[in-house]
Amino acid sequence: MSRILIVDDAATVRMYHREILESAGFVVDEAFNGMEALEKALVVSFDLFLVDVNMPKLDGYAFLRELRSHGDLPQPPAVMISTEAEAIDKNKAWEAGANLYLVKPTRPDVLLGYVRLLLGERLQ
Amino acid sequence: MALVKVPTPKTTEIESRSLARDLAGLEAKLADPDPGARRWAARDLAAHPSASAALLALVRTEEDVSVREVALSSLTQIGDEVAVAGLVDCLRSEDARLRNEAIEAMKSLPERVAPLMRGLLRDPDPDVRILAINVLESLRHADVELWLISVIESEPMATVCGAAVDLLTETGTPRSRDSLIRLTRRFPDEPYIQFAAGLALKRTATA
Amino acid sequence: MNATANAISPDDFQKFQEYFYRKTGIRFEDSKRYFVDKRLLERIAATASKDFRNYFAMLRFEASGAEMQELINLMTVNETYFFREDYQFECLVESILPEIVARKKHDGPIRIWTIPSSSGEEAYTIAMCLLERWAAIDQWDVEILSSDIDTNILVQARAGLYSARSVQHVPENYLGKYFRRTAKGFQLDDTLRNAVEFSRVNLQDPAEVRPYQNFDVIFCRNLLIYFDDQSRKRAAETFFDALRPGGFMLLGHSESMSRMSALFKVRKFPEAIVYQRPGGGWV
Repeated sequence: MSRILIVDDAATVRMYHREILESAGFVVDEAFNGMEALEKALVVSFDLFLVDVNMPKLDGYAFLRELRSHGDLPQPPAVMISTEAEAIDKNKAWEAGANLYLVKPTRPDVLLGYVRLLLGERLQ
Repeated sequence: MALVKVPTPKTTEIESRSLARDLAGLEAKLADPDPGARRWAARDLAAHPSASAALLALVRTEEDVSVREVALSSLTQIGDEVAVAGLVDCLRSEDARLRNEAIEAMKSLPERVAPLMRGLLRDPDPDVRILAINVLESLRHADVELWLISVIESEPMATVCGAAVDLLTETGTPRSRDSLIRLTRRFPDEPYIQFAAGLALKRTATA
Repeated sequence: MNATANAISPDDFQKFQEYFYRKTGIRFEDSKRYFVDKRLLERIAATASKDFRNYFAMLRFEASGAEMQELINLMTVNETYFFREDYQFECLVESILPEIVARKKHDGPIRIWTIPSSSGEEAYTIAMCLLERWAAIDQWDVEILSSDIDTNILVQARAGLYSARSVQHVPENYLGKYFRRTAKGFQLDDTLRNAVEFSRVNLQDPAEVRPYQNFDVIFCRNLLIYFDDQSRKRAAETFFDALRPGGFMLLGHSESMSRMSALFKVRKFPEAIVYQRPGGGWV
């Protein structure tokens, strides 16, 4: 059973994504910002990260850069989710180490489709 | 080799005197090549009410995170109009870290920020509108809910409405219910809006 | 009878939980529901709030943050005693000190600061651990400083007299070796009392903390959780400068830098998660 970490400072957004992912059979954990996400990633193995951009203390880009710099940690795929749609932000996401960039608000079917794809599961 | 008792640290007289305390001296130190020196200067400038401009200039160009963080703490402590205007500018920065640091600082300056909120909530840039809603989270102002209601009544973008509804799930009262219902009708095909508004309605149900 | 004053609804609990988690990083499991509800109802009554909704609005908007502090106090365990959260002392001896020693480039002593000292249990525990559990203590000088804002508690700390409750987690052989049982309680031996320097410091006063520099390890457990957001951030910045580059910071087990500052790197050791100031040729 794949384990996904939702990283977002908005409680409602975390709850929304949790419902989508749990109803599809994933195990879900949450982090309030990039720092808490790092703390969790050091202790628990995740199969995928869902990462918001704007968060207090450590934003999504900084979190991914830090995560990718840890050679000793597993490096699962990361989906960046943000309100920004400009090209410059997508480049930043790739550079930081994201595998995919989605624009908020997400739709359940789209999110699940990409998550399954990244986890190497068959598309339903 | 063992446990050694050391006397309580005290700043020596010489150190006290040599530490630049004057505004000009400290502002000059903000350009010091050593980040430690810049950081100490930024920290000491918190005691100088007219240092906002210099601190803001530093924040905009400073690469060292530790210096920038301390400069922002000092700006928050000074918290004058210059500081707040500068922080609002930072909301437009390309640098995500700086944007978020500015939001954090603004959250600690509710009285100064409140007069600017209406304008920010109508800013032409939707991302600035969202960041402004983030700032509202800590704002102690009687009109916060009214501003949020006004956003969900008239804001064209779903992402901005989403941010407003998220805050209403925590701060909403029965006053916002009618507007929340209208919002669900405005965005019938946005699952997140339906979800978030539903949650806010649930939490504002009259007892 | 007003039903809302006697129970916390699931929606209200969820709302409160989200707020508390955002502010402190602490999440209450479902099993803690009774514990939390009871204390919330206590505070609703104590603040003469009409219901949870009114209480929550007051909690969110109170400028002084006094009610939040009171609530945190109630929700967290505050007792101080020897060997509290022992895994952190294990970490000090097994992981942190060996790393410090391996990259140490100067001849000076290793410096440890613990704040708040309270009645000294933490500082003296560190001293005991260094003497008993760290083989390399014979090769290195270690300075232990411990500070508190309260001068009365410092007097107690220096005196080193403790209750049975306070020493209940001290291993038997350490108890025999470092304590003397008296009519008034357990008296700590001079060897340890003379190993720690206690000082009065207000962490939030920049002038007072300025001389506290060049520390290799700082323990600040269960203090910052009571500070407001800005004070916590400034305290973290103060500790940053109090540490040597590469120095280590330890917080209380339910505290996290994620709610304070992004200046520190997170390090995971087998015994504990700790924070490290970047630099020093290590990180």
